[in-house]
Amino acid sequence: MNLFNLYRDELKGFFKSKIMAFLWVGLPVLVIVFHFLQSTSTDPEVPFTLLSALMVSSLGGTLSAIMLSVSIINERSRHVYELFLIRPVKRYEIILAKFLAVYSCVAVAALIAVSFGIVSDWVTTGAVSQVVLSDAGESLAISLSMIAVSCSAGVFIGLVAPSIIVGAILVIYGGNSLSVIPLIPNMLDIANAAVFTIGLSCIVTIMLLAVAVMSFNRKQF
Amino acid sequence: MKSDNAFVSIQNVTKKYNDLYALHNVSLDIKEGEVFGYIGPNGAGKTTTMKILVGLISDFQGKVRIGDYKMPAQKDEIHKLLGYLPQNVAFQEWRTIKDSLKIFGKLSGLDDQEIEKRIPDVLDLLDLTEVCNKKISKLSGGMTQKVGLAQALLHDPKLLILDEPLNGLDPLSRQKFKEIVKKLSKKGTTILFSSHILSDVQDVADVIGILNHGKLVQFGSLNQLKQGLSIPKTIEVLLSTPSDKWQELGKIKGTHTIEQTAPDKIILTLQSETDPDEAINSVGKAIVDLGINIRGISLLSPSIDEIYLNYIQRGQAQ
Repeated sequence: MNLFNLYRDELKGFFKSKIMAFLWVGLPVLVIVFHFLQSTSTDPEVPFTLLSALMVSSLGGTLSAIMLSVSIINERSRHVYELFLIRPVKRYEIILAKFLAVYSCVAVAALIAVSFGIVSDWVTTGAVSQVVLSDAGESLAISLSMIAVSCSAGVFIGLVAPSIIVGAILVIYGGNSLSVIPLIPNMLDIANAAVFTIGLSCIVTIMLLAVAVMSFNRKQF
Repeated sequence: MKSDNAFVSIQNVTKKYNDLYALHNVSLDIKEGEVFGYIGPNGAGKTTTMKILVGLISDFQGKVRIGDYKMPAQKDEIHKLLGYLPQNVAFQEWRTIKDSLKIFGKLSGLDDQEIEKRIPDVLDLLDLTEVCNKKISKLSGGMTQKVGLAQALLHDPKLLILDEPLNGLDPLSRQKFKEIVKKLSKKGTTILFSSHILSDVQDVADVIGILNHGKLVQFGSLNQLKQGLSIPKTIEVLLSTPSDKWQELGKIKGTHTIEQTAPDKIILTLQSETDPDEAINSVGKAIVDLGINIRGISLLSPSIDEIYLNYIQRGQAQ
């Protein structure tokens, strides 16, 4: 119950933030701009759905990871968590609620952007083929997998980084590198790559969150 | 310092940061409904004690019990009983005051109906009703402190632990705080609070604990603290007309020193073994015999500041 209350509350907070406004509105706008740029480029063959998915996962993933780590470092250094921890709340609930709230918001942004991609491809080709839909599904799976890893890396870095600047640097370099892990099955071109991508991202995400929770549990205030 | 009906019991608690003792073998008991004022210099270990009590620090030695529960083993049960105001209270800044209280109410186990009832009550109690929709980021320090108090009181806890609750409050709010503490204590709430404003501690605390360098140097009611003092007792004589005969009062048995601190004020310091009541009688008699005109004569009681300084200096000398 506490996890749900915290999740709903965090969702409300991130929903109001400027970064979320950018992810939900700015990214689809960027997708449209890219669509026009692509139509004038020499290589219009790249499916637009895939392009928008990659854009969301790289930009959205990085932004959400930075947002998470900065928010956690800021709240940690101001002792905001003390008022939560003196109530019957488990520490992992605080961490998980934050992760789930940001992940939900970015997942919605990914859905919006990929939907824009599908519509764009449909406008360009005249119909939504099975291939386009299949590509869209796969692109979404890749996006969400990469975002999950980015977000969990953001949480972990937020809990261990000594300052906001260090946290942001670690997210940009470390978090981004980690978020590439779910792409390995695609790079190796193995069968059912999407399934392995999702599985791999789940494993990495759970591992990062588990280490983050352990570190938070050990912390004395 | 140990009693069987204690609601809060700290026994031989020691907490070290590297090689430095933040708390050294501290033991104290607080009875249900009692107001405990915790005083001591900066870095004495007051905040560490409070953080141990609320479960924010769990790696300590010794035993801590609140109600029927042990800290940190039964932390969740204890958390249902307590309200806490940290020294530097901070909230997530995107929230309004009302939003903050809502989430803390929920996390403390209140249902929606109770939250709807309790929030206006605490807002009203702390004069926050008019600003309840203001964002936390827009609040002044004093206002944030009041919101901190509001969240601590929201779920009507049995134990209130307040770390420097009067920080940043204006005199009117301080007065209000003291009234709230007295009212809650009458209702049976046990309150532990620390403050640097010693007169405020004196006004509301039933029991006072003086902490220095991690050690509890004295514990008891204000009267008990006075009795254990080595401050010499003094008698003040206020003259209505100036007189040269006042020096004769120094010859009274049991007087240690005598001095004129103002044209109309004489201070007699008594020897440590002198009974102050007998000394007052003797001084009164001598004044009549000498024909000195006076406005008043009184035994000066040591102020809480003097008591505090005496115990702290005594501790440093040791």
